Amino acid sequence: MSRLNRESAPAGLLAVRHLDVHYHLAGSARRMLQAVCDVSFDIRRGEILAVVGESGSGKTSLARAILGLVEPSGGTLGFDGVDLRGPGRRVAGRRIQAVFQDPLASLSPRRTVLQSVREPLDHLRIGPAPERGDRALEALETAGLDRALAGRYPHELSGGQRQRVALARAIAPRPELIVADEPLSSLDLTVQHRMVRLIRDLGARMNIAFLFISHDLSVVRQLADRVAVMYLGRFVESGPAAAIFDRPAHPYTRSLLDAVPVADPAHPRPRVPVGDAASPLTPPAGCVFHSRCEAAMPRCAEQPPTEQEIGDRTPEGTGHRASCHLWTQ
Amino acid sequence: MNRAAQTPVLSVRRLVVELRGDGHRTRAVDRIDFDLYAGEILALVGESGSGKSKTAEAVMGLIDPARGIVTADCIRLGDTDLHGLGESALRRIRGRDLSMVFQEPMTALDPVFSCGEQLAALYRRHRGYDRRRARQAAALMFARIGFSDPEQVMRSYPHHLSGGMRQRVIVAMALSCRPRVLIADEPTTALDVTTQARVLTQMIALAGETGTALLLITHDLGIVAQYCDRALVMRRGRLVEDAAVRDLFRAPQSPYTAELIAASRGAGA
Repeated sequence: MSRLNRESAPAGLLAVRHLDVHYHLAGSARRMLQAVCDVSFDIRRGEILAVVGESGSGKTSLARAILGLVEPSGGTLGFDGVDLRGPGRRVAGRRIQAVFQDPLASLSPRRTVLQSVREPLDHLRIGPAPERGDRALEALETAGLDRALAGRYPHELSGGQRQRVALARAIAPRPELIVADEPLSSLDLTVQHRMVRLIRDLGARMNIAFLFISHDLSVVRQLADRVAVMYLGRFVESGPAAAIFDRPAHPYTRSLLDAVPVADPAHPRPRVPVGDAASPLTPPAGCVFHSRCEAAMPRCAEQPPTEQEIGDRTPEGTGHRASCHLWTQ
Repeated sequence: MNRAAQTPVLSVRRLVVELRGDGHRTRAVDRIDFDLYAGEILALVGESGSGKSKTAEAVMGLIDPARGIVTADCIRLGDTDLHGLGESALRRIRGRDLSMVFQEPMTALDPVFSCGEQLAALYRRHRGYDRRRARQAAALMFARIGFSDPEQVMRSYPHHLSGGMRQRVIVAMALSCRPRVLIADEPTTALDVTTQARVLTQMIALAGETGTALLLITHDLGIVAQYCDRALVMRRGRLVEDAAVRDLFRAPQSPYTAELIAASRGAGA
């Protein structure tokens, strides 16, 4: 299925096409770091898409480009028919909210919980001012926090409570998309587990779509509807979460999954993958993964693979795709 | 393994750590007993605030007396009771008989010396090697921790290396003097999952070669299941479980352990 067909999908909310994010390196006008390279995907309303990859894979740059925090070097960002790279960003932007890894860094230490959650409502002038306090309280409760905490300051809260405040703040303006960059990474396991349930519940109840950036495959498996695997700025594989975890098609996805330690002593030990990630400054020619790939063939060093539909096609067109010569005829 | 016939390399009895806060004291570690046996990989599991790191710091003698009070019936390493030893005596033992690796490798490395110089310095200080012999020993150690080009690592400065490579340098340094015990506090938490697999595999292999028993502090039940022999589970300063890993996952005795296992299994993978 071609990308053009997907563009007209009725339930599409975010449509990213051929996105590039390049950074110029200090001290050189010509050296560039290609953090995101020709990435295309859709997120539908209420859908949770997780982007996974190692550090340096470009997943945070991707999130920042969608949030308008870095200027893309190329490609288009469509949000419900609005071009996010054009003047429509200002209005459409309020329909997109963000949650980051460290809630202490994103919450003001001098504001109470209620003030922090209310702030985006005032800033974006959402609803009549007298009702904003109630709306913020409602968001707190939706995020699973007791109203009694509304007058507290961030330092008086636990890590899990703080991240719930950050989430309440993101949902208060009733966004249609939340971009969450490693939001659960600093939390304890049992707290993570409860947050995963909360996010799934919110997505369903409020029809909020999530772009969820994570390096934690265990969390992603519990949370995501669809998964995209990123390596050196490219999507090497994407598809329904069950397909990615149960039938990974790309050797990189397999090596990631094989490295996860499973909480069962009878399960085989994690496999140590070949080599370290190549530098995004000097991506290998051909397939960027060939230098670490156990299945590499001669053509992998020469020719970059194109994205292939590899089965599991559903009526909505949410296929399972991989960029790998193993799947190129 | 028949433990009754064995003497533990590390034996901790009634360890208490009280931290002084502003005006009040909190008991971070509350009357903990445990043993670590030769050749064993023992997990110390818990969530943040459980007291697992404070336990390690107390064993290492790293708790600042101005910030906390450590009491214990004993913290015995071999024949030596570390509890009550002075700082200079402890300093001789740390790094030689008892080593520690932390989550963030950058803080344990000196940015102005090459990795080779830093490891060679340990051989000179603890083993009395001359410059040349210390250098050879350092290069050999980097080869044993799995670096394909140990000479290049010798010349590298810490900021040249990736997080995973830095952590392997630290592990090589920590194991260089064949300590009896290595305490590793969340050594791979900041690393990618692929790098984590490499660091843990190589750390465990090398600890096996040097005859070092490992106390591995982690919040990750997957790491416990896959790499460890026995596990201690801590919660709010107390030890809630001490079991062989197989038994821990098959029939957890504490409801809290069961909850942790369920949370990680919900994680599936």
